[in-house]
Amino acid sequence: MAGGGGGLELPERQRRGKKFSKRKKKKRIGFRIDMTPMVDIVFLLLTFFMYTTTMVTPQVMEISVPKEVEENVEVNQANLLTLYVRGDGKLFFSMGSDDPQPIEYSQLRAKAVELNLLRKNKLITAFKPSPDAPYGAIVQVLDILNQAEAEIVRQLQAEGLKRERKFAFVKLSPEEVDKLKGL
Amino acid sequence: MPKIKKKRLGFVIDMTPMVDVTFLLLTFFMFTAKFKTEAEAEQKFVIKRPYASADTSKLPDKDIAIIKVGIDTLTGDTSYYYTIVNEIQRRQVYESMNLTSEQRKPQVKIGLDLLDQLIMQTRITGPRTRFAIDADRRVRYKWIEDAIDVLRKNNATAFNFVTEKRQ
Repeated sequence: MAGGGGGLELPERQRRGKKFSKRKKKKRIGFRIDMTPMVDIVFLLLTFFMYTTTMVTPQVMEISVPKEVEENVEVNQANLLTLYVRGDGKLFFSMGSDDPQPIEYSQLRAKAVELNLLRKNKLITAFKPSPDAPYGAIVQVLDILNQAEAEIVRQLQAEGLKRERKFAFVKLSPEEVDKLKGL
Repeated sequence: MPKIKKKRLGFVIDMTPMVDVTFLLLTFFMFTAKFKTEAEAEQKFVIKRPYASADTSKLPDKDIAIIKVGIDTLTGDTSYYYTIVNEIQRRQVYESMNLTSEQRKPQVKIGLDLLDQLIMQTRITGPRTRFAIDADRRVRYKWIEDAIDVLRKNNATAFNFVTEKRQ
């Protein structure tokens, strides 16, 4: 710092030699403080706070499930889109009572938009994740469906329709588990 | 031959602007720093949250109960953990239940049956309390499915999945 070299200077008394002036000269125009230690500490604190700060705040995805009901709801098979996630994270889909077909995660969005627009508000999406599937894959599917939803709402609005989303989590039956294993 | 000797004993740089900026940064980071809660400081797992696209909805910091599904870093065991963020409510819930002193911590490691009781008591003491499931993306869906079933049983049909923004 500016005052860093202060230690090298000789003390006032020695510089003047043995002569002592009787007149006290008190001249203090602009004094300097050695700021080095302070700056050291400031940098230390700064690095500490910079390293400990996490900039990402967790966000949330809102999920609604229906209340527990005893009776089964009759569903028209033709309007039913079923999505499966197998234990290894592979994604499958089927329309109605068709056999599940594999589909890539990247294609799901376009598929969901296409099918929903074809059947307007009649399409019911059932999501059947395998209990062994990684949670990350389930959230990914939900995220893709949410993205597709925005597109569907926009397209239906252009046609003057109000979107009614029909989506449900459904438990995978043992027969379906076996069927998916064979694919 | 005369040699020109350049003497540069100690030169001075004006560091004032740098120090100004440094202080500014320091104050910024100090004010934005959010320290871990008591519960987070004690936990022996790090949750790798599932990725989702950017969303504006953030995790509320009050009136919330969090069901965590974490993988212990040492043993690799998956387990449920339960936290009620509101301290007053937490005390009320704990007092209404028969818990061991070990379980009276801000974040308790629990099984499904105890989770059911805790959620029920949370619903009684604070009907407005919202629930969030904060699970590791590597855990099997079975864990989440069971937690959702418990929530449904207690009529908590709207809840949140805690996610992380995909970069």
